[in-house]
Parts: sequence; structure tokens; C-alpha cells
Amino acid sequence: MADDASDNAHEKPTQLFTLKKWNAVAVWNWDVECDTCAICRVQVMDACLRCQADNKQDECVVVWGECNHSFHNCCMALWVEQNNRCPLCQKAWVIQGTGK
Amino acid sequence: MIRCIFLVLDRTYVLQNSMLPSLWDLGLDLFRENVLSREHVRERCFFGLLNLIKRERSGDTIDRCLLRNLLSMLNDLHIYHTMFEKRFLHETEESYSIEGSAKRSSMEVHEYLIHTERRISEERDLCLACMDHSTLKPLTLCVEEQLISKHTEALLSKGLSHLIVENRIDDLMRLYKLFSAVKDGIQSLCTHFNKHVKNVASLIVLDVSNDHTMVQDLLDLKEKLSNIVTKCFSKDLKFVEALREAFESSINKRQNKPAELIAKYVDQRMKSGNKEATEVELDRTLDQIMMLFRFIHGKDVFEAFYKKDLAKRLLVGKSASVDAEKSMLSKLKQECGGMFTGKLEGMFNDISHSKELMAQYRQHVTTKKEGKVPNIDMSVNILTMGYWPTYPPMEVQLPSYLVKLQDSFKDFYLSKHSGRKLSFRASLGHCVLKSKFKNGNKELQVSQFQALVLLLYNEATCFSFLQIKSDTQIEDSELRRTLQSLACGKARILTKSPKGKDVNDGDNFNLNTEFKHKLIRIKINQIQLKESVEENTDTTERVFQDRQYQIDAAIVRTMKTRKTLSHQLLLTELYDQLKFPLKATDIKKRIESLIERDYMERDKDNTTQYHYMA
Ligand SMILES: [Zn+2]
Ligand SMILES: [Zn+2]
Ligand SMILES: [Zn+2]
Repeated sequence: MADDASDNAHEKPTQLFTLKKWNAVAVWNWDVECDTCAICRVQVMDACLRCQADNKQDECVVVWGECNHSFHNCCMALWVEQNNRCPLCQKAWVIQGTGK
Repeated sequence: MIRCIFLVLDRTYVLQNSMLPSLWDLGLDLFRENVLSREHVRERCFFGLLNLIKRERSGDTIDRCLLRNLLSMLNDLHIYHTMFEKRFLHETEESYSIEGSAKRSSMEVHEYLIHTERRISEERDLCLACMDHSTLKPLTLCVEEQLISKHTEALLSKGLSHLIVENRIDDLMRLYKLFSAVKDGIQSLCTHFNKHVKNVASLIVLDVSNDHTMVQDLLDLKEKLSNIVTKCFSKDLKFVEALREAFESSINKRQNKPAELIAKYVDQRMKSGNKEATEVELDRTLDQIMMLFRFIHGKDVFEAFYKKDLAKRLLVGKSASVDAEKSMLSKLKQECGGMFTGKLEGMFNDISHSKELMAQYRQHVTTKKEGKVPNIDMSVNILTMGYWPTYPPMEVQLPSYLVKLQDSFKDFYLSKHSGRKLSFRASLGHCVLKSKFKNGNKELQVSQFQALVLLLYNEATCFSFLQIKSDTQIEDSELRRTLQSLACGKARILTKSPKGKDVNDGDNFNLNTEFKHKLIRIKINQIQLKESVEENTDTTERVFQDRQYQIDAAIVRTMKTRKTLSHQLLLTELYDQLKFPLKATDIKKRIESLIERDYMERDKDNTTQYHYMA
């Protein structure tokens, strides 16, 4: 049935079963190569420890460098004050994007 | 008479000469010296008096008037206190010492208590009627000593458990009252009470064969005992604490299981269909549950199991009452703090965010006018990974129009949220299928797996197990359970050949074209997988792994507010904050790890002092 061409295949008037309602469930997580932030060693899906202490879990997002490595945005912000290189690959740190 | 004659003289002359004794006193002195100083006379007199009292005690009616006059005479003669009272108390002590031992072994404890109470009141009665009132105190003390103090241990070990088990409110009240009169009586009672509760509660907790009633049994026990403390032990704080301590120690004699069962108990109350309870009753039940929850040392174990059930209730929309869910959450928050409930709250937020997002998505679809999106009412719950229990992804083969629908939503979602990955969990979805049977149209409420199987039957009326498996790609054991539910349950939409409960590789499944059902809307129940021991150990295991991380978070939170703290004070704070048993060595390891990660540092001069590093 996978190659059924018609989009409205589910609505043929003669067919026995028609899907009327679909309650689907999906899970989201950050699109990262490594689940753990190498700076604070907390899972990136969880807020970093500092944000947890401040109860700012919702604001703790992930940042990706051009090297494709990712960390908590706040962890990286503190890190670059000391050293403007990626802690994992030592390349100069250039932000590719942040999550939202 | 002599006194009367000389009364005038007494009043007028003697009173003015204070050196002289009054004639009345003179007379008494003479009587005392000449009559009662003679030992045998005095002895006979005392013997007679004590005998009279003995008879009264044994139940005879005596001439109380005579007794009172004689005793008052002794008082006037100044030998009541110096000689008689001592003898009397000694006699009393001996007689009650014998009686106490005899009655204690011949009577049931509650009879003995009644007897004792009666004795004390009889003695009081006699004393107030016939004796100098100053005797009341030593007399009562003496009786209490002989009848209660000497037997506290024996009475308590022989009778307390029985009285509590039988819920003998009056007898227990009497016990408390009598024991509170003697030194250390209440303390012994309290110790025995605590021991009894521990015995009974531990039995409930440790009896593996009665796990299904453990929580209800504990709740009933607690209610009964609290009632006894209130009614019989006058809400004495010592007893309140003894009860609390006994429950806490008993419930923690078994690891994890009580926490798990308490969570299950809440789930049963919270599920819809539990119509027996009104909102008010439900809230009361939740309060009682919280009382048990408070005793649990591994509160995070409870949280893990609670979360699993909560997830099911939220995703299947099976919750009896949103208010009750929120109320339970706030009770947990109040008890354990926001740290503890953060992820649970996150689950509720996910559900409400999903609703908002779906509204936006529908708007988006209608304005987009792509046209080709199938006319299916789709809603998606988007779960934040980490808030919810982990659900392993299971790839399945969807009909192409569903893939399209799914992708359309996914594109929309990712356009709103960058940097995210979204993956569907077919095992959690559920559907409504319209169906046209020969015997009438039906609306089937099914799981997504059940729906995927049934949709195959639009193409043919018979499939083999292996065909279904390759067409849907549903995981093997899931598929077998799904087919069982469709072909072996109450509403059989498929027929299985050969017949039988177990699904085997060679089985064929035919569409039951003759399907009949008295209802229009039919819910096809899924075969509930009994939560395996393995699954439960898994949950507890994850809890233990999570503890390290909880410790880290608590240390950082504490150091961040306190900036500088000694090791000891930090430990104290942590014990206070964390809701599971902690070992000092584990905490030390976590502190080392945090120092290494530059969250904190040791003081340069004082190694037991830490500073927070911003
Ligand atoms: Zn981090
Ligand atoms: Zn953060
Ligand atoms: Zn890098």
C-alpha cells in the first residue's frame, strides 16, 4: 500500500475503513551529535546547572558552532570569555545558530 | 461533758494564761498518756480500725460513722499522723501488692484496668469520708504504685496490642488516664505503642503476597491509629511522633516497592471511570496519600513511577479531572519543592503548548491551500524529551497519505523551532476509524497500531501474520499483541485461523465481515502488557542514575545562593533539599567533580570551605 498514488486513497466511498481522527505523539530534542554538553557535562536536553539554580530552564537553549559541535548557549558564553575556541576541536568558535 | 462544765473556765481563765494548756487539751493529754500509751491497748485499737477498713475493702458494709469518729479521735490525740497513718499505708501497700499480682494474672488486661480504676475511686471515697484529707495523696500514690507502676510492663506487653487491634477506644482511654498518673507510665505506653505500630505496619509492608492492598491497608491502619491517638491519648505529641516514626521506619523497610505502589494507587484514583469519588473525596484521598508519601525516603522513585502513569493519563486523555491532577502536582511541589516537580510541570506545559501549536497549524493549513492534504483530523502532542518517560522509537510503515500528513506537520514545526529534531512515536498514537460493515456503520476507537493493521483490510479480506508484519513493519511482539486485541478480544473485527489465544507466524487473519455490535462507537481495548519486573527495575535503575545529577544541581543551587559555605553546612543543606537517601561519600565525589568543572573551588587556606565560582 506504500505506493498508493492517490492522496485521497483513504476516502474512497466504498472502502471499509476510513481514518477520521489521528492523535499522534511526537518527541522533540535538540539536533545535536552529542547528548552531553562538554563544558558542564549535563545533558543538553536538560538546562545547565546554573540555569536550573535560577529556575530558567526554558531559556537554556543550545548553540551550534560552525564546527558542528554544540553546547548549552550559556556554558559557551562563559567559555568564550576565556578562550574563543571550541572546547572539543580547538577551532576558532563561530556560531552557526542557536536553538529555539 | 467535762469539757462543757469547764468551758467557761477554759474560755475565761486559761485563755489569758497562755502558759497553761486548755482543759480540753489537758484532758486529751491525760487520755493519751494513760490509755493509748499502753501498747496493747493501742494495738488493739489500731487492729480494730484496720480490720474495719479491710472489711470495707472486701465489700462489706461497715459503720463509716464509727470509723470516722475513731479516726478523728486519733487525730485529736495527735497520734493519727505520727502512728496510725503509717500503719494504715503500710497495710494498704501490702494488701494491694498481693491483690495486684493476683488480679493481673487472673484478669484480662481491660478487666484489670476497670478494677484498678474502681479501687482508686473507692479508696478516695473512703478517705474523704472517714480520714484526714491529707491522707488522700499518699494513699492514692500507694494504690497506684501497687496496682499500676509495678505492672506497667506486664500489662502493656500482655494487653496493649490486643486493645489496639480490637480498637477498644474506652479501654485505651482508661489505660492512658491510669498510666498518666504514675511516673514514666506514659513513656512506657508510648514505647509499646510505637513497637506495636512498627510490628503491624512492617507486616503489611513486607508481605509480598499482599502488595495489591498494601497502600489501602496502610491508609486504613494510619487512620485507625490517628483516631486512637486523638481520642484515647489526648493528641499527646509524644504519641503523634511515635506513630509517625513507626510508619516511617516500617515503610522504608522495603526499598522502592512502597513508593511504586503509592504512585500506582494515585493513578487508579486519577483515572477516569473512577466515578465513585467526588472532587472533595478525591482531594481527601490525595491528602492521605501525601501523608504516606511524606514517610518515603526515596521520593524520586515515587516520582518516576508517578510520571509513567501521568504520561499515560495525559496522552490518552484518561484523566478523571484536570483539577485533581493540578492539585496533586501542587501538593507534591509544596512537599518537595519546584526542583522535584519541574519535569512533571513540563509535561503539563507540553500538552498545553501542543494544543496552541495545533491551532496555529490548522490555521496554517487552511491558508496554505496546498489542497492535497488529506481530510483527516490530526492532532499531535509534542513531548519534550527528558520531561517524559523514555519511549523507544519504533519505525512503522504508514500509508503514504499519513506520511504526507506527518511530514507536513513536521515541516511546520521545524519552521517554528530551529535546531530541533522531531520524531513520531507510533506506539503512543491513537485513532478513530469510520467503518462500514454489512451490519451497520461503526466508529472504532483504536490504537495507531490497530488502525494500521485494519487499514490493510481495505485492500483484501485476508492476510497472513507475516504479510501484516512486512506491510506495517510493526515490531514483532507489539504486532502479536495488536492482532490478539483485534481477533481474540471482546469485539472481534478479525478472525484468526487456526483459532487460539497465541499468535503464531503461520496464522491467517480474516476480516470478520459479519461483525456486529450493539454500540455505534466501540473502543477496542489494547491488550495491556503486564508491567514486567524488568520494566520496573529499569525505572528504578534510571532513578538511581539520575540521583548523581540531582546532587550536582542541588550543590550548584546552594553554592550559588550562599557563595561561601563550609563542607558541613553544605551537607546539611543537601540533606534538607534532596528527597532520597544520601551517602556522604557520594556527595564528596560530586563536589570533587564540580570543583574540577569550575563550578566551585576550595578555600586556599581552609580546605573544608568552598566558594562558588560565577
Ligand atoms: Zn552546559
Ligand atoms: Zn543554561
Ligand atoms: Zn568544535
